[in-house]
Amino acid sequence: MSQRELAIHIFRYNPEDPNDEPKTETFTLQEEEGMTLFIALNKIREEQDPTLKFDFVCRAGICGSCGMLINGKPTLACKTLTKTLPDDITLMPLPVFKLLGDLSVDTGTWFRDISLRTESWIHTDKPFDPEAEEERMSNETALQIYEAERCIECGCCIGGCATANIKPDFIGAAGVNRVARFMVDPRDERDEQAYFDVVGSEDGIFGCIGLMACDDNCPIDIPLQGQLAYVRRKMAAAGWKR
Amino acid sequence: MELQRTYISGKKTDFLVELVQTISGLLLVAFLWTHMIFVASILLGVNAFNALAGFMEHYHLLDAAVIFIILAVGAHVGAVLRRVPGRWQEQKMIWQHARTIKHNDTWSWLFQAVTGSAMLILIIIHVFIVVYAGIDSTLSAERVHSWMLWFYIVFLFLAEYHASVGLYRALVKWGYVKRHSLKRILTIVTICTIGLGLISLWVFYSLGGSA
Repeated sequence: MSQRELAIHIFRYNPEDPNDEPKTETFTLQEEEGMTLFIALNKIREEQDPTLKFDFVCRAGICGSCGMLINGKPTLACKTLTKTLPDDITLMPLPVFKLLGDLSVDTGTWFRDISLRTESWIHTDKPFDPEAEEERMSNETALQIYEAERCIECGCCIGGCATANIKPDFIGAAGVNRVARFMVDPRDERDEQAYFDVVGSEDGIFGCIGLMACDDNCPIDIPLQGQLAYVRRKMAAAGWKR
Repeated sequence: MELQRTYISGKKTDFLVELVQTISGLLLVAFLWTHMIFVASILLGVNAFNALAGFMEHYHLLDAAVIFIILAVGAHVGAVLRRVPGRWQEQKMIWQHARTIKHNDTWSWLFQAVTGSAMLILIIIHVFIVVYAGIDSTLSAERVHSWMLWFYIVFLFLAEYHASVGLYRALVKWGYVKRHSLKRILTIVTICTIGLGLISLWVFYSLGGSA
């Protein structure tokens, strides 16, 4: 493999420093075999600029920390091989989330807020008996829940969503997917009207304008179009009866 | 929860407006395609076109169509206006966003908003002309054989594009479809309807020239 020289243009800004201005800084480095952006960014930080801010934990597409705009596409840096990219690579932080500095954003506060607003926990009046055997559910249901539960909360669906970019209260695909997960769960005793209170509005499913950037960009391929449509149809039925 | 939010929470209005937007949109697509097929009756000859036009006027179908289009367009515009970013700041953000993420369906939505706004003006002009002049092949041929040709060509492209993207988005949002095959099918349908429209215009243009 002939080694390319990569020009990596990185968004730099420290919102904590009142004298700092947002700018793009270019770093050049030699491409290596099997190089991911995780490796590239660490090399830049070690060899060229120790002040560069970016987030990584698992470097295996599981933790969802390294979501960023890679040549505009919201995706995970650790899963992106440099060989799939041109010689010039532009990296920007995910929009919508609070910018901590350079490529690092705070997705946690946003997702915590969504969890509370969509009431993402099992609602049940049954008293909990730690001795009792767990209730059974069909394998099909379990798989359906698991499909939604795979979300790693990287925020790529939110950063890529035009609606989320201009409407701060919109819960986005991640929020709707979360609600879909509880809708199929037989242990959750909420009826459709209770769900309608949570997502049957412009801030919820009826705020989605169908751009499907979430579906196109989800790094772990959760079928978000299907999840959004499922919740939309359920909430339409609930809204009709209201 | 803040006070101003308690007024709007748990109401079904957001859902109803969404429903009005979808249903009026679907009806307008059906109307547009029927309309274009009717106009294409000129391909069967002047007599076929005039017979169809006469039939529609005799049974007041033309009046019904005008009333329908005013109501449907009114409802659709009313419903979709809430979607168009109204503030200058939002406009800047949304165009920058589209440029940054380079995502086709995001661009197509922006074009949908632009074509929709332009069409509102074109539809008003078109309806006025038809209501005041009536439908007749000679009148149409004369109009098409003038500078108005450009009006119809632009209108044709905008309307078919807007209808196609709108139908795509409605079906994608409500599910039941495979997104990428739907896009292919609608692209072919749109090329065919634009082609049919252009051929009809060409026939009118040559009729106007020979008169």
